[in-house]
Amino acid sequence: MVKVYQSTVLNAPAERVWRDLRDFNGLASWHPLIVLSRIEKDHPADKVGCVRNFQLKDGSRIREQLLSLSDFDYTCTSAILDGPPDLSDHVAILRLFPVTEGNRCFIEWSAEFECPPQKAAELTETVGEGMIQTGLTALKKRYG
Amino acid sequence: MRITVIQSTIIDAPIERVWAVLRDFNSHDQWHPAVAGSRMENDFAGDVVGGVRRFSLSDGSDFREQLLSHNDREYTLNYCILDSPLPLYDYMATIRLKPVTDTNQTFWIWRSQFRAPNDRATELENLVSRQIYEAGFRGLRTFLADQAAPARQPVPDMEATSLAAAAGGEHLPSRAVAAATAGGPEVLALSDVTIPAPGPQQVRIRQTAIAVNYLDLKQRRGIAAGFEFPGTPGMEGVGEIIDVGQQVNGLFPGDRVAYMNRTPGAYAEIRCIDADACLPLPDGVSDNDASTLLKGVTAALLLSRVFRAAPGATIMIQTVSGGVGHLLSQWAKSMDLTVMGTVSTAEKARFGRDCGCDYPIVVAEDSRLAADVMRITNGRGVDYWVHTSGARGLDTALACLSRCGHCAVIGDRDGQSIPLDLNVLKQRSLTVSTPICFDYLADRTYRQRLAHQLFTKIQNRTIIPAIESFPLSQAAEAHQRIESRRTMGAVVLTPGS
Repeated sequence: MVKVYQSTVLNAPAERVWRDLRDFNGLASWHPLIVLSRIEKDHPADKVGCVRNFQLKDGSRIREQLLSLSDFDYTCTSAILDGPPDLSDHVAILRLFPVTEGNRCFIEWSAEFECPPQKAAELTETVGEGMIQTGLTALKKRYG
Repeated sequence: MRITVIQSTIIDAPIERVWAVLRDFNSHDQWHPAVAGSRMENDFAGDVVGGVRRFSLSDGSDFREQLLSHNDREYTLNYCILDSPLPLYDYMATIRLKPVTDTNQTFWIWRSQFRAPNDRATELENLVSRQIYEAGFRGLRTFLADQAAPARQPVPDMEATSLAAAAGGEHLPSRAVAAATAGGPEVLALSDVTIPAPGPQQVRIRQTAIAVNYLDLKQRRGIAAGFEFPGTPGMEGVGEIIDVGQQVNGLFPGDRVAYMNRTPGAYAEIRCIDADACLPLPDGVSDNDASTLLKGVTAALLLSRVFRAAPGATIMIQTVSGGVGHLLSQWAKSMDLTVMGTVSTAEKARFGRDCGCDYPIVVAEDSRLAADVMRITNGRGVDYWVHTSGARGLDTALACLSRCGHCAVIGDRDGQSIPLDLNVLKQRSLTVSTPICFDYLADRTYRQRLAHQLFTKIQNRTIIPAIESFPLSQAAEAHQRIESRRTMGAVVLTPGS
C-alpha cells in the first residue's frame, strides 16, 4: 500500500471553499491538469455512488466513483474505477478544516493505492506531486 | 447545557517541533500564559496514559486533569478534567496536530465538549475558547519563537564560524580520545579529528559532559565485545545539538540532550549519534548531572524491573560509593528500603551514609561481611543484593540472601566466567539475574520513562549525583583513578574545560 498525503492552508473560510469542492463534477473548473469532466448517467454530482468521467490534459481518461460526501465534516472520498495502468485500489480523501484563528481553512488531500513495487516511486510522484499538489497549489492561488 | 468548543490555528513551525512540546502533558506551565504551575501526580511522565496533572492557574485556582490517550503517530492526545473549581462538567478535550506539507507548518485543532449550568454557559464557553485555547495558541507561538532564538551569550569567533559551517552540513574539527591498542590507561591519547555531517537519522552534538562507565575501561582493556582498536571508548554523553539529519524528527539545533547507546565513541568534543538514543533535557538538570543517565537508569530498572522492590525490603549494594551505587542508594532510600552497602574505606563509608545508605560496611574480608549482614538483618538475610565483583564473593552474596532473595550480578569487571550451582539457589528459592542495562532499554518509551523519573528526582533533589570531573585530555587519569578505586560517585569528562 502506497500512501500520499499533502496539505496546505487556503485563505478563505471553509464554507466558501467547500461550496466549490463539494461539486464532484467541478474538478475541471479549478484543477489545471483536468480539462473535461462529466457525471455518468446524468446522476446529481453530490449523489454517493455517482461516477465522474474526466479527461486529463494529456488526453488520458479517468473514471472515479464518489464513495462519501459529508457537508458536516467537509469530506469527500472517492475511488478510481478506471485509471492509469499499474495503479489499483486507489482511494482518495479530501477534507477541509476551518482555521478559527484568521478566517482561513486547512485542506488535506490524501490517497492510498496499490501498485507494482518498482512503480511505487514514480506513481507516488505522479499522484502526490502531479495530481494532488498541483491541485492544492491551484486552489491556493484561487483563494489567494 | 452541552457545549462544544473548537478552536484551530496554524503554527509557523514543523509539526515535530510543535508536537515535541504538546506531547508532554505536563508542559503547559512552560508555554501557557494562564498556567502558573503544573506537575504530574505520582511522578508519572508527561506522556503516560492515565497520568494526572495538577494545574494551578495564575489566578490561584487548581485543576486536576487526566491524560486519556496519547498517540505520537497521529499527533493526538485526549484528556478530561477530574477536579475543577469551575462548573465544567464531563469536560473532555482533544488536541490534534496535522502537518501543512507545502509550507512545513502545523495545523493545530483543540476541541472540547462539556456541560455547564445554563446561566454560566456563555461565560464558560468564552473562558475555554478564548482564555484557554486562543491564549494557548499565542503562548505556544511565543514559546517556540523564544526557543528558536535563545538569548545566547556571545560566542568566541571560532565557535561562531564552526556553527555557521555546521549549518551547511560540513565537516567540523574536533578532538577525540582514542586507544591505539588494548592496554592500561596510558594507551588513551587525545588527537585531532574531523566529524562529518550527521547521517539521515543522526544528530551531531557538541558535548559538554561525557560519562565514564566501567564498560569504557573494559573497552580500553580489550575485553569488551564489539570494540575495535584503534577506537574511541565511551557510551554516554550530554551536549548541545549542532545539526540534525534529514529524517530526524523532534530534535533541533540548540537542544540540550543526553544519550546512551551501545556504539562506543563518546570520548570526543563533537560526535554524531543516533537521534533515537537522544533524550531532551529538562531545565534544572545540569549537564554534569544528566551525564549520570545510564547509571541512574540502571538504578531505576534494578529497583523497578529486576527486583520489583517493595518498600520496607532490605537491599545490599556492593560498592555503594561507586557511580551506580551512590545513585541506587539514594533511589532505594526514597522508596523506603533499608539500604546496606559495602565500601573499602571509612571515608567512602561516610560518603555512602550521605547517599542514604543506612549501614555502610567497610569490608576487609568476606567472612566478616556475611556475619555483619546477618547481624544487621537479625539473621534473616537481605532481600536484594547488587553484586559487582563477578565470581569473587558471589557465594557470600547468595549465603546472605533471605528466602526468595534476589541477587543481581552487574558490571562484571574482569569478564571472567562465573560458576553457579543451581542447587544452591534451589535450597531457598533464590534468584540470580544478570541484567544488562541496554537489553531492558530497547523500548524507547520505557527508556524515556526511566529517564524522566531520574531527571525528576534530580530536579527535586531526591537524588543528588556526586561527580568528579576531568578535562577530556585527562581521560587516562580518570581511568587510572577509577582502577585504583579512589573515586567516589560518578566520573565525568568535560571537553569544555
